Amino acid sequence: MNYFQLFGLDNQFSIDLANLSTIYQSLQKQVHPDRFAHASSQEQLVAVQRSTEINDAYQTLKSPLLRAQYMLELRGVDMPDEQATVGDVSFLMRQMELRELLAEIKFADDTDAAIFEASQVFESEFEQLFSQLQVQLSENTEQSNGLACDNVRKLKFYQKLQIELDKLEDELLDD
Amino acid sequence: MALLQIAEPGQSTVPHEHRLAAGIDLGTTNSLIASVKSGLAETIIDEHGKDILPSVVSYQTDETLVGAEAKALSVSDPENTIVSAKRLIGRSKADIASKYASLPYNFCGDESHPSIATRKGDVNPVQVSAEILKTLAKRAELSLGGELTGVVITVPAYFDDAQRHSTKDAAKLAGINVLRLLNEPTAAAVAYGLDSGQEGVIAVYDLGGGTFDISILRLNKGVFEVLATGGDSALGGDDFDEVIVEDIIERAGLTRPLSASMERQLTQQACFAKEQLSMNDSVEISLLLESGNQWTNSLTRDDFEILALPLVKKTLRACRRAVKDAELSIADVIEVVMVGGSTRVPLVRNEVEKFFNKKPLTSIDPDKVVAIGAAIQADILAGNKPESDMLLLDVTPLSLGLETMGGLVEKVIPRNTTIPTAKAQEFTTFKDGQTAMAVHVLQGERELVDDCRSLARFELRGIPAMTAGAAHIRVTFKVDADGLLEVSAMEKSTGVESSITVKPSFGLEEHEITSMLKDSMENAEQDMQARMLKEQQVEASRVIESIQAALAVDSHLLNKVEITEIESNISALAKISQTGNAADVEASLEVLNHSTAAFAERRMDSSIKTALSGHSVDEV
Repeated sequence: MNYFQLFGLDNQFSIDLANLSTIYQSLQKQVHPDRFAHASSQEQLVAVQRSTEINDAYQTLKSPLLRAQYMLELRGVDMPDEQATVGDVSFLMRQMELRELLAEIKFADDTDAAIFEASQVFESEFEQLFSQLQVQLSENTEQSNGLACDNVRKLKFYQKLQIELDKLEDELLDD
Repeated sequence: MALLQIAEPGQSTVPHEHRLAAGIDLGTTNSLIASVKSGLAETIIDEHGKDILPSVVSYQTDETLVGAEAKALSVSDPENTIVSAKRLIGRSKADIASKYASLPYNFCGDESHPSIATRKGDVNPVQVSAEILKTLAKRAELSLGGELTGVVITVPAYFDDAQRHSTKDAAKLAGINVLRLLNEPTAAAVAYGLDSGQEGVIAVYDLGGGTFDISILRLNKGVFEVLATGGDSALGGDDFDEVIVEDIIERAGLTRPLSASMERQLTQQACFAKEQLSMNDSVEISLLLESGNQWTNSLTRDDFEILALPLVKKTLRACRRAVKDAELSIADVIEVVMVGGSTRVPLVRNEVEKFFNKKPLTSIDPDKVVAIGAAIQADILAGNKPESDMLLLDVTPLSLGLETMGGLVEKVIPRNTTIPTAKAQEFTTFKDGQTAMAVHVLQGERELVDDCRSLARFELRGIPAMTAGAAHIRVTFKVDADGLLEVSAMEKSTGVESSITVKPSFGLEEHEITSMLKDSMENAEQDMQARMLKEQQVEASRVIESIQAALAVDSHLLNKVEITEIESNISALAKISQTGNAADVEASLEVLNHSTAAFAERRMDSSIKTALSGHSVDEV
């Protein structure tokens, strides 16, 4: 049973998150180990397994990037591992520019404004790639799936940039 | 007119037996036990009418004192009187030395198993905690008039795996069945949440004696979903005392190192001053110096607030991070709950109010709220409220990972992942012909191994010699509903497997617990046997009862042969538990459990199906 089936949902990228959360909670109400604290050890064992599976499914379906990656896996697309390089040179150049943008925030006169600006840039470029990804996933051809796969990997770069930016913001606020 | 009662088909007509369960708040400074009596969760008082038990254990020649009596000896006999053992539990010697340099104890034992030398011999923090748990459990059993089925023990949300394991070990040593380890802020949310039936995002700010936790939860129709948690497992009210102590030392012209009893006197004066300053604008501090002279001085609330502000700011930084981790903004938080005695400090309340822009909730006594929440959860886990809709979904407070090349940590389970959870990661060999791999399990957010908490090391051996990078080693991390970790490693092509429940390097080994248990008994071997048999008998009757209840409702999921097999295994177990020894009962239990495996799965899947169909009916 795949994660979509486990949640009784259609296998498609667009998901109503509020509905997903309602289904998640009603499933956990059935299988969570707390429900079986007084049951037989066998039932406790099964409860932990099912509850774990439902948690993992929820985490995967909730996050757009993990969901996309999971859908591609279900379609049999081989996702290159994390260390493999992205071949798109102009994309990599752009990433280097964005890294520089990030590194310069510390020296800005108004760091708050610089952080805000950087996050705007990251977000708009993320959104652009993300809407391409949505179209590619819905096409579901061998070619579009390959492109979707590249896009998922590119989007992860933006995710990392955002994490770095959050860290930086924390550091600056802590001083 | 009295109506005749008719039960639902298949359901037992025997009224469900109420099982005695309790919630224990095992605190740094004070501990409490609470239970649900006729639908109301209340703390349980001792014979002097007090519900708060100071978390102090004093080892005297002919007796071990716990609570107020022990606390009374903390100045006169500091080396044998252990206070705040919770700060030491699950920690290494080096850890303790760096964090709490001025403790008056004589530490002994090895680096990863620190003990304290007392006149009653060496005791470790797990044993000290066990004494406190035993005292509370005895109090509850006297008051409730029977044996406890099980307890929920609360731990700071920010406790790491070693600290959680040690807490559970303490319960085992005290002979208490733990239904669940529950995070303190979640317990507090339960205590408040059930009162108000509120929906939305709440923040729980929990500043105890020795730990600080912040949790962000979403409440929805009885579900308490923890979205993020953060904090500091070594920041609490004791640190407020310490800043006052340092201030007094400076003003009184004292220099460290001071005698153990002087340190205790300073701490008591500081704690007293802090409490007074919650009500008054200034307080007189007086010390009996070693010279015999009296030293007095006054401390104002303003002085104290200047000293304490950096500590409060530190907690607010953790709050900001937790809100961010929950992917929310401060405005989304509709309610702030205050927990822990240290939230009585006006500075704390004011700063928290400013930060969240909301008056924090303090209607439930901050000392009792955690125990009350734990009692509510214990009542449900014991099976006393089958109709209850409440469910707690908690998270891992810290990321869990593995050491990779270059002393770096590869995160396998990120922090704030809902538990129970399981994640696997694949690794490969570094050298040609490598036949073993060291697995080093770490906890923490930093990237370097040295900056994270080392939980355990184990080795996977017998990997067939292959070229570098050819082996596929799958390492699986599992975290259960108590937040405890288990790690296993397997080489995929050959199936060579190695697995351990991460018994942190700083915990006790199973055999150590057994031998400590034996030491605590008069006729060790005999008592131990009796105790093990008793445990197995309790387990047997629990399992039989629950399987019979399951059969009454869901026997349609089984065929005749399966039902007969289960029923005959039930009667076999029932018989053996009357006549056999512990090992026989255990073996028979195993047979019964095994024969219900398919039944358990079918029941679970059928309830999942029901939940999903109920759901689509709702939506139509």
